[in-house]
Amino acid sequence: MNMNVSLTPALFVAKISNTVSVCVLALTLSFGVSNAPADETCSSPYLARIEGQEEFVYVWTLGVEGLGDGSDKLVTVDVKPGSPNYGKVINATSVGGRNEAHHGGFTDDRRQLWLAGLENSRVFIFDVHTDPARPQHAKTIDNFAEATGGAIGPHGAYALPGRVLIPCLSNAKDHGGQTALVEYSNDGNYITTHWLPTKDDARGAADARFADGYGYDARVLPRKNALLTSSFTGWKNYTMDFGKLTADPEAMKHFGSTMVMWDFHARQPKKIFEVPGAPLEIRWAWGDKHNYAFTAAALTSKLWLVYLDDRGEWQAKDIARIGDVKSGVLPVDISLSADDKTLFVDCFGDGKCRVFDVSDPHKPKQIYEKQIGRQVNMVSQSWDGKRLYFTSSLLERWDKKGEDNEQFLRAYTWDGKELKPSFALDFTALKLGRPHHMLFGATKLGANRVVASVQ
Amino acid sequence: MNMSRARVLALALTVYLSRLTASIAADAVSHDADYDYDPPVVGSYALPVIKVAPDGAIIDSDSKSLNLCQLTHGRITVLSFIYTRCAAPKACPYAVSVLSQLHALSADDKALATNMRLVSLSFDPDYDTPQRLAESSEAMRDEKSGCEWHFATAKSNAALESILNGYGQAVDKRSNPNDPQGPLYHILRLFLIDRQGRIRNIYSSATLDPRLVLADVKTLLLEETKLSKH
Repeated sequence: MNMNVSLTPALFVAKISNTVSVCVLALTLSFGVSNAPADETCSSPYLARIEGQEEFVYVWTLGVEGLGDGSDKLVTVDVKPGSPNYGKVINATSVGGRNEAHHGGFTDDRRQLWLAGLENSRVFIFDVHTDPARPQHAKTIDNFAEATGGAIGPHGAYALPGRVLIPCLSNAKDHGGQTALVEYSNDGNYITTHWLPTKDDARGAADARFADGYGYDARVLPRKNALLTSSFTGWKNYTMDFGKLTADPEAMKHFGSTMVMWDFHARQPKKIFEVPGAPLEIRWAWGDKHNYAFTAAALTSKLWLVYLDDRGEWQAKDIARIGDVKSGVLPVDISLSADDKTLFVDCFGDGKCRVFDVSDPHKPKQIYEKQIGRQVNMVSQSWDGKRLYFTSSLLERWDKKGEDNEQFLRAYTWDGKELKPSFALDFTALKLGRPHHMLFGATKLGANRVVASVQ
Repeated sequence: MNMSRARVLALALTVYLSRLTASIAADAVSHDADYDYDPPVVGSYALPVIKVAPDGAIIDSDSKSLNLCQLTHGRITVLSFIYTRCAAPKACPYAVSVLSQLHALSADDKALATNMRLVSLSFDPDYDTPQRLAESSEAMRDEKSGCEWHFATAKSNAALESILNGYGQAVDKRSNPNDPQGPLYHILRLFLIDRQGRIRNIYSSATLDPRLVLADVKTLLLEETKLSKH
């Protein structure tokens, strides 16, 4: 059944079956919307997408004591072509206090932007519909641990129909890595909690011997009813000074080494994969026959592929070495182009973005690298693959020290061969803080991104 | 042929073709490109309460005034927000086609016929008058013996705003009123509501697999059976 059709009011007569002749309207197949699609390539498939080019980049920014007001804030950067304010900060709204601002996400109608704080588990809900250029802080969830039954460290928000899925990093009981996925309705009410499978309670998942209960990212491939999660580390580790952490062998044992495939509709774990070294961001391919997702394991500096094999079984395998872990080549964020051919990999330690040709997802080939800064973390890519935005901060206590602690948003264009700078913002000089997650905003919305056809 | 009639026919055609290609029996619907998986087993999973289904003043296709809560209590309800001028590929025509499949299924399933209710609620009351909704209702309900299927709209613009806010149904006017996809931009929203009037699931285009909706309805029926035994 392919319902991806639109109707045009031109009459004709068609005999549809042997017994039924009906006067019908002409059907014209339509494989896209009339306006050019835009958006981040890593956004939820359930998210209402923006039409045309992104106009704003929202930057969830950690406050720095003694810098400006010292608070976490949502910073809005104008990236509308031709705007007199292009490349400039046009708004910054503080939430009051520091919360280890980290990731965020829109509700599926794109009317709200949910921004999470890792340290104290506060979630800040902004209205980005009334005035997308000036988001307004509308609500704060400040009882997260109590409401969710002990999940803490909300790691962003992932749009689902009428609700958001919040993958967490830790738990209130021991502040370690065992954690949960949490659901809230779009109006900010808690719905339910799904704990990650453990060896003691694998909840029917295959390969329970690998289970560690850790969490990080959670993303869905709708047409396969597949929810995939990854794993990082708990509160005790991500709030520890990075130098102290890496010098503590016991602490270093407590990083995630699993990914979990779930039955999305039932929210039940089906299979656990052993993926050593903290597999972080998950990027499902968009192609309508591309049944695979990429991730990067930070502590082993490897690219991994989770894919459907010839027998219809989900598998995971490492597919490429990114760099030398001992040299600090720690992959922290990845961005897959909308045509599934190019993967951008940010490495925190050496501040480089490495670009891989992943046309054959089983055999990635590095084709380019660019020094973005002394440290780099997040990368966001426009749907047409022509614009990429980079930010610098990883975690408050994990960022580099001294002169290496550059804090920036840097924008580039990509022509298929080279990253060329378009503008840069120094978040320290602007007294804003440590920029982390970026999300695109616009004044125009288009059709739901419901079909995985690549434009 | 006026445009109103044309659009009703368009919806009818969509429903007809969906049946022709998908098979009426949802249990027999094979994998397809959009929903390429086996649905979960009925009763093997939980559908947590999301919230109480909001109420509001509505008017049905018989021009009868009533409260929406009258259509969200007493049966397991699948409530779909639509407008009949919509021609977006995977929006209202698709939602109507899914409800039509559920309705057809209920004609051969007594439990569904007596326990399920379908509601198509228009957010375009100025255009979707009771008369037009009656035309749509007549065109869509191929099976006359299935479960209840109500077509209705808000009684007033104030009531509409309250209902849309309550359900989180985003609707905006398109900048081009002659947009080929229709004059309104909206996200597709359908709600599964239990007999006590509580929302138990929310569907959009990407999750509106008729097999999943059917599994959810039957899961709620099974839940009721289990609860009644305790």
